[in-house]
Amino acid sequence: MRLIIRDTKTQTSQWVAEYIIKRINEFQPTKDRPFVLGLPTGSSPEQIYANLVDFYRNGKVSFKHVVTFNMDEYVGIPTSHAQSYHSFMFKNLFQHVDIPPHQIHLPSLENYAEYDNLIAGYGGIELFLCGVGSDGHIAFNEPGSSLASKTRVKTLTSDTIAANARFFDGNINSVPKSAVTVGVKTVMDAKEVILIADGRGKAEAVRQAVEGSISHMWTVTALQMHPKFIMAVDEAATEELRVKTVKYFKDIEGASTILGNPKPKL
Amino acid sequence: MPTTRSSRTHSVPTDTIIRLTNCLVPVENRLVPGTLLINSTTGLIISPQDVFYDSKIQPTSTIDLHGRAVVPGFLDVQINGAYGFDFSDASKTDEEYSRGLKEVNRQFVSTGVTSYCPTITSQKNEVYHKVLPHLGPSPRNPTLGSSSLGAHVEGPFLHPERNGIHPPHVLQKPSEGLKSLETVYGKQNLESNVKVITLAPELLPPSSLPSLPSVLASKNIILSAGHSTATFSQLVNSNISMVTHLFNAMHQPHQREPGIPGAVLADVSVSKPRFFGIIADGVHVHPANIKWAYHSNPSGLCLVTDAMALLGLEDGEYVWGNGESIQKTGGVLTLKGTTKIAGSCVTLLECLNNFMRFTNTGIAEAVKTVTKTPARMLGLEGVKGCLEPGADADLCVLEVRGDGSVGVEEVWKFGVKVWEKNGVRRRREGVMEVSRL
Repeated sequence: MRLIIRDTKTQTSQWVAEYIIKRINEFQPTKDRPFVLGLPTGSSPEQIYANLVDFYRNGKVSFKHVVTFNMDEYVGIPTSHAQSYHSFMFKNLFQHVDIPPHQIHLPSLENYAEYDNLIAGYGGIELFLCGVGSDGHIAFNEPGSSLASKTRVKTLTSDTIAANARFFDGNINSVPKSAVTVGVKTVMDAKEVILIADGRGKAEAVRQAVEGSISHMWTVTALQMHPKFIMAVDEAATEELRVKTVKYFKDIEGASTILGNPKPKL
Repeated sequence: MPTTRSSRTHSVPTDTIIRLTNCLVPVENRLVPGTLLINSTTGLIISPQDVFYDSKIQPTSTIDLHGRAVVPGFLDVQINGAYGFDFSDASKTDEEYSRGLKEVNRQFVSTGVTSYCPTITSQKNEVYHKVLPHLGPSPRNPTLGSSSLGAHVEGPFLHPERNGIHPPHVLQKPSEGLKSLETVYGKQNLESNVKVITLAPELLPPSSLPSLPSVLASKNIILSAGHSTATFSQLVNSNISMVTHLFNAMHQPHQREPGIPGAVLADVSVSKPRFFGIIADGVHVHPANIKWAYHSNPSGLCLVTDAMALLGLEDGEYVWGNGESIQKTGGVLTLKGTTKIAGSCVTLLECLNNFMRFTNTGIAEAVKTVTKTPARMLGLEGVKGCLEPGADADLCVLEVRGDGSVGVEEVWKFGVKVWEKNGVRRRREGVMEVSRL
């Protein structure tokens, strides 16, 4: 794995957005050979999406031949609900760029059984962008989820429901009780995964992901087995890591630059 | 009282969907570039997100507005007549009245006012019984032009000391509370045709005052205090949340008795909104009063014209409904032989431009005083006066002039363009068929 550490969330988001457009542009996607991108929602990726929109507006990238698959969506609220992930994606990314609507996919009660096959039909996900929960969950794969799981319906834990109540006028009863989510295996099947984490609240999850052992109690740790995995974090999210670990990954990043494997310019 | 609502709110694939692009839309207090999707079949504004994700619902046409502003259609909650037609004129036969009203609605929409409350001044009981059945909410039909939201009855329960130009001999006292209102206006009219009642709350019997506003609210009628001698505490204790033409026909604020203005401008909170109409013709109220009233209670100010039938007619002497003469001199109307102001002669657009100048506010902020705020006051938030999905697609396309003032260039009613300014080149090249978003 690679661990990219930047001082602030803004710098981390900038790095990730630049990495994504570099990958799309190098891929040279066409109608018949689109770039397949996996996408998360939540507060972590908001700035990344804003940066992607800026790059699109400045002509640095086009989403015309990009196919997207979102990680998850609530069950039991309409897609037009202000807190649905349909709304989040439309507001933060889709309405601002040139992606054709039929190239966008979000999991639902109707399509979840076929979701992994649908992805495979496009030749798999080229790059999966992920967030991570403070308990180490990726998508809605909460502690104890099978590391071999595929897209399915999950009941949300009361912790997650309580944490999400802030988006539903503080009313726990308004928070959906289940969600459709890609599995850990769905993420693992992507050709490349970038995981983003920022803030002190994510520091323990970052420690588990980097220094911990593989365990379904921290589903993010499954990514240690991924052949092409990047974590992009800010300083605050490294606070639970050993100093030695942080230094090691900073050294590696510096060395790889010298060896002609250039990091995207900041 | 029934308000004409769309029979269905969701779009179906056979609907005519129009996409207005390259326009400026008000968001908070700024105009920002945006697009607007409207369903001409249901007459509603629809959500771009719903159209984006639903491949079966797609725009049938896209119209380029070339950078002009799109705002909700204007609402005027106090207007007595226009184009020579007086809403209080009971001398006409029912057929003449109905024909005249239709003609006014068609012409009136060109001023940008897409909905209004036709206002009846103090009259004898039989006049209310005769005209109010004509003035209930208009049918949902864009070809009819501007639509009524229900009548505003200003009087006859007004205080004789603050009658303005309302003839004293027709004023009454609502001694029996709701029953008096039913006798004067007619019970059926209260159920279906009246939207706003202006009265002097101090005239109501103490037993009926605290409950009357909520009793009327259950019929979707707004009670408004006006032509009144009410004190600060009388208004605060009255449960009335609207004031008719603030500063006119009431006690002015005094250092120890702030009166109605003090109540409506200072005794305000989120849980207790208060609204007020104000005439921004530059004559009825000094610009400085408009400025501080706005800054005291910005979410309560509704611009009204209080315009009379003389709007659009030549200068001269005219006879009012009850036989009194009115002198029209430019935009100023006075009771003949006196200096008493007798209603106004301005359009709501002129009031809006005046308001922006008086208060130094921008278009997006100022336009709320003729859209969002009166809609909230009438209990029509989300239906009228906004561009949110689900609201009626009543729109004004505005030209923004060099001096910051605005002009109405197009008016849309229920998702259909019903008026376009003469001389505005039809921008056919901007209309193109699109198969998908």
